[in-house]
Amino acid sequence: MNTFTFERSQRMFLGTLMGIGLLCAIILLLQHDPLKARFWSDFLHNSVFFSGIAVMALFFMGASITGMAGWYTVFKRVWESFSLFLIVGIIFMIILGLGNYLGFHHLYHWNDAETVADDVLLKGKSHFLNKGWYLLGTIVIMGGWIYFARKLRALSLEEDQDPGHDFEKHRKMRVWAAAVLPFIGFSSAAVIWLWVMSVDPHWYSTLFAWYSAASWFVAMVAMTIMIIGYLQSKGYYPEFNRDHLHDLGKFLFAFSIFWTYLWFSQFMLIWYGNVGEETTYFFTRRDHYPVLFYGNLVINFVLPFLILLRNDTKRKLGTMFFVSGLVFFGHWIDYFLMIKPGVLHTTQALSAAGEDHGSHAIAAGFGMPGFLEIGMMLGFLGLFIYMVFWQLSKASLIPKNDPYLAESLHHHV
Amino acid sequence: MANHKDVLFGLYSDEEVLLKAVKKAKAAHLDIMDVFTPFPVHGLDEALDLKESRLHIVGFIFGLIGSLTAFLGMTWIFTDDWPIIIGGKPYWSVPAFIPITFELTVLFASIGMVVVFYVIGGLGPGVTNPTLDDRITDDKFCIAFDQHGMSDKDIDKVKSFLKDSGAEEIHTKTI
Repeated sequence: MNTFTFERSQRMFLGTLMGIGLLCAIILLLQHDPLKARFWSDFLHNSVFFSGIAVMALFFMGASITGMAGWYTVFKRVWESFSLFLIVGIIFMIILGLGNYLGFHHLYHWNDAETVADDVLLKGKSHFLNKGWYLLGTIVIMGGWIYFARKLRALSLEEDQDPGHDFEKHRKMRVWAAAVLPFIGFSSAAVIWLWVMSVDPHWYSTLFAWYSAASWFVAMVAMTIMIIGYLQSKGYYPEFNRDHLHDLGKFLFAFSIFWTYLWFSQFMLIWYGNVGEETTYFFTRRDHYPVLFYGNLVINFVLPFLILLRNDTKRKLGTMFFVSGLVFFGHWIDYFLMIKPGVLHTTQALSAAGEDHGSHAIAAGFGMPGFLEIGMMLGFLGLFIYMVFWQLSKASLIPKNDPYLAESLHHHV
Repeated sequence: MANHKDVLFGLYSDEEVLLKAVKKAKAAHLDIMDVFTPFPVHGLDEALDLKESRLHIVGFIFGLIGSLTAFLGMTWIFTDDWPIIIGGKPYWSVPAFIPITFELTVLFASIGMVVVFYVIGGLGPGVTNPTLDDRITDDKFCIAFDQHGMSDKDIDKVKSFLKDSGAEEIHTKTI
């Protein structure tokens, strides 16, 4: 079974997930919420999270091709399919970019002209934090990612037909793969500043881009394991053996620790420096979100660390599937914590006139992910997997003529 | 050393041939003493039915000891033995302890594993290890059998096995 058939039952199931997401979106839009902050923050949260998974798949593929890695070739179609989700992601992000102009959402405090005029810090940042850069940055950077993703996909499909003289196609692919690395490396930081860090416009952290990119990366590896686990249960990918799983498990383990390292580095420097405008970020989260704040570390560090430390847990698909689900959800929570408190603050400040501003009452859907947040996430998840399966069904599951295919088929750790 | 062994061994020059020979020996229920290769051969551990090393458990225990040493040590020092206010922080400042806890975990785990490895393996300064043939650290692969308790018939059987399975040289050595 080298061709994936996107069955009707799968389409139905994923369609149902998308329907749940849409239903939740409609409920959120109909709720009494003048600024529609709950809906738009969920929309931003999920768009950024799933686009990030897509771009990290592209990045890792680029790194693997450049590094002449052979182990992953068996399932590289999965990452190609992930990376093409960016085409959907850019639509969502452009909607958010246009929202800054048309004013249908109020996620970003720096987009409020009155606030900026009275605020010397935001005025100083307005050369970068403005709606023009937001939209332009999103289009140019995500457009660039899509260009690279499509280029690598096209070359990979051409290689299936004809590898060319002396693996000419693969050599070409290597040039594109090497070029995408610095591009994503720098540009992902820029869009993370615009999309996520700027919901707290007064706050800044130089480590933030790395930290949130590491979060994307772990979620991407977890997603890969879950997708391949599902495909194997359907009888696809018999060539994907315990050793491939072991290597993916090592990446999940290593990057969970890497994420923790960055989380802690960011936290400790701010804690140690004790500068008021920086510490407020963590005070808000520690005091108003204690369960998520500490739970984040338990789900994303303590549990995967202890479970994946042993050699044999990384070789069992069931355990790996469980840990992947856990960590995937954990990093979704991580993004929740990055976005929601800032948006809540902005919303309260913008609608403060006459109301009890400063009481820090946490509105529904901002303190803890509610059913509607989970529903929105399921909708995006359904869409993501739908796009991935659709792309998977368009090419053979195992690439042909790849120079590293034989190495990958005989992978042994 | 008191316990000298008479070892019968065959030298191979290709790891694939060696791997096949090991599998054949296992199938014929020959009692392999040990296999020596100049580099790790994929699949050899499984072919020899070697148990997974328990060294990593030692690593975990030493790491845990390291973490506790660092964390409890600093807790005692900074809260009880010699409390100092540093940078306006509380005496018991957990975030500041984390890097040192991490470092001591790594230090204890690595040193502990190396020492245990040397002790278990009977290695260390002053220990000489007789080799069957110097070339097994270079380009030869060796399957060794302990002749102790073997009858002449058994020895002939092993010899013919080594010959049939592609050994280029067959020797006997007392180590």
